[in-house]
Order: sequence, then structure tokens, then C-alpha cells
Amino acid sequence: MYKSTQALFGGLLWKTPWRLSSPQKARQRKRLRSVDRVVDTVSAALARNGQSSKAVERWYAEMPREEEMLPKDKYTLFDKKEKSYRKSIHKLPKWTRVSQRVNPPGF
Amino acid sequence: MSYFRITLMRSAIGLPRRSTDVLKALGLKKRMATVFHPVSPSVAGQIMRVKELVQVEECEKRLTKQEVHLERKPDPGYYN
Repeated sequence: MYKSTQALFGGLLWKTPWRLSSPQKARQRKRLRSVDRVVDTVSAALARNGQSSKAVERWYAEMPREEEMLPKDKYTLFDKKEKSYRKSIHKLPKWTRVSQRVNPPGF
Repeated sequence: MSYFRITLMRSAIGLPRRSTDVLKALGLKKRMATVFHPVSPSVAGQIMRVKELVQVEECEKRLTKQEVHLERKPDPGYYN
């Protein structure tokens, strides 16, 4: 049965919370660490065989590790349309399966 | 000669076509599937494309599908 609630009726009420909960943040850190672990394993295996990969080197050159990141960069990302120039990372499509670690300097 | 033991933990549903194609090239068709590839820069590059979706270990020997399955199989019989 149709029940007119504010969310269904107005179409302007957003049900997605504007911030992450603490378990969501904990899982986000866990995912960041798991990506770090994958890259470390790949890099160590290549080094043992005396090889190297451009993709791995580039990752180490450009990306911070989970423990080096600021909380701000772990849980939010740059958005020019926001008043504070930051929005929560769960607004990013497929945010649990993409790497989003660096933001424009100064923001 | 060592190998990468690659397990698909997260599916690539809804991700760009390239990610799906890389998984297909690695031979990962469904979640929790495990494949072995020799350690080489080209395989490393493929892993880097899908690093958010997989778990990687380095191992000395390539295991067969049966051997991988037996690692997960519980001991037979009743027990508490």
C-alpha cells in the first residue's frame, strides 16, 4: 500500500546520511590496509626475482599508505560544490571498491 | 620460480569494463576463485588494476584446483 512519507512524497529528503558511521570508517581503514598489503606483496615478490613494475613504483611514488593518511583524506574527498570543499567519501560511486587517496593540495 | 596466488574477494559488478576484462584475463570468474600466475611484471601490472578486489600471496608451488579445495574442506566425521 502506498503511504505518503516525506521521503517518497517530497523527493527532496535524502535518506543517505551525510557522514560515515564509526564501523563504516573502521571498514574503510581495513580496505585501505588490504590494498597496501596487496601492493607490498606484489612489490616484495618482484624484488625477490630481481624484477620491477612501473605500476607498483608509481603507486609507491604517488600514494600515501593508510597510516600516513590524514583522517580527512581517509573519509572525505574534494568537491568544488560543497561549502567546505569536502564531501564524505561514501558519496563516491563504488567507494568500497575504488582507491581514492589523494586530494588537491590546499583543500 | 615463485607464483602469485590470487583470490578474488570482491566482484567487479558495476565497475568499468577494463576491470572485468583484467579479471577475465587472470582467469578469475567468480568470487573466492583462486588462480596461480608466475611472478612477472606483466602479471604484477594486471594485479595493480584490480588491487581493490583481490587478495595476493606469493607461493613456491602452483596448486591444483583440488588441492585448493582440500584446504577449505573440513575434517570428516562428527566432532564438537
